[in-house]
Amino acid sequence: MSTSKEADLALVARCREGDLGAFEELYRAHAGRLYSLAFRMLGNAADAEDLLQEIFLSAHRKLESFRGDAALGTWLYRLATNQILDYVRSRAGRAGQLTDGLDDASVLADAAGHRLADRAIDRIDLERALADLPEGCRVAFVLHDVEGLEHKEIADVLGIAEGTSKSQVHKARLRLRNLLGRP
Amino acid sequence: MPCERNIERIQELVDGTLGAIRRSELEQHLAQCAPCRALKEDLERIRGAAAALPALPPPDGAWLQIAGRLRQEGRIRETAPRPAAARSYAWLAIAATLVIAAGSSIVLLYRSSPVTAPAAVTAPAAAGNPNNAEAVEAVQNEVDSAQEQFEKAITKMDDLRKANMNALDPQTSEVIEKNLGILDRAINENRAAVKAEPASVAARETLFEALRQKVSLLQDTMSLINEMRKGNNAAAAQLVNKS
Repeated sequence: MSTSKEADLALVARCREGDLGAFEELYRAHAGRLYSLAFRMLGNAADAEDLLQEIFLSAHRKLESFRGDAALGTWLYRLATNQILDYVRSRAGRAGQLTDGLDDASVLADAAGHRLADRAIDRIDLERALADLPEGCRVAFVLHDVEGLEHKEIADVLGIAEGTSKSQVHKARLRLRNLLGRP
Repeated sequence: MPCERNIERIQELVDGTLGAIRRSELEQHLAQCAPCRALKEDLERIRGAAAALPALPPPDGAWLQIAGRLRQEGRIRETAPRPAAARSYAWLAIAATLVIAAGSSIVLLYRSSPVTAPAAVTAPAAAGNPNNAEAVEAVQNEVDSAQEQFEKAITKMDDLRKANMNALDPQTSEVIEKNLGILDRAINENRAAVKAEPASVAARETLFEALRQKVSLLQDTMSLINEMRKGNNAAAAQLVNKS
């Protein structure tokens, strides 16, 4: 029985040879996770779809560099994360808002705002509320609470201080509580 | 309103990063302060709901766009050689039988050039010439006709396969059915994309690629059935390993 590393290398070898079926197999296995990451970090479906295409086209170009040191899914995830963050940074650069989260007054207002009480958290409502978060908060929250990265990892990939990552995530949670608790 | 000085501590409690002493102090406070307790419960639920968010399905047309761009950039090999196992005389005999059974010229075209798109598929590039509208329409009709012939051939080959599947063991049959199901979904998805963008050459090519893959799988299945019936387990195993 072949190992997952051997299977990854075999699939990548077929992709490198220009086998479209092999690349579709790779796409079908990983597109959902990467699209979800892009959609949640960017906050809209149109940008996420565009970026998903760019991620896979970029992956196809970079398959030569895949050596199997990490699982193919991990390699793709890193590539996608970097590409999404590059896009977020360029967008934030234009709007100047990646690190502009929520100020202290907003945090207190959110803390004093609506609470969930016994209300169930609907997945669609949560996705919608995520999209309403300021960009910096949303990115940090998605990486930490949705994707499970540590603050140190987030600080590294975003190029911010660990404390800033923590603060962004905490502010995001308070804002989400306020948004989700609205009558 | 929760106590302002405890908001950050509650967040750290939810994260599991609060030290033992501060945690104990906070838990005593939470036992007495309903707003702070409510905040802790809400933040825990938000964190839990976020961690449980499922993967979203990518948009239907995304793969089609990617495949089209890979083709445009010349990064897909259109004439990938098939593995040697598929070039056996047994395969050729079965393929010939299937051609007769299907009675379709498109299958002959496929057999002579297994992974090359029918010529008509790439022709709509002529659409850039405004003086050539009639030619474009003629090409479009040829593409439609080729697609129709492909699908008719597949239907006949599939009927033949279904009638002979009892030659295979249930596990192999299940794998083949599963793969055919995947291809059918891809074909349906690509067919919808072609319907949405009838002028897209990339969309057409991807649909034809899916159709070709189905023909290829059906041919391999028939080869396998043939070898099993002949009791040629070695050749059958070779075909299975190829798949």
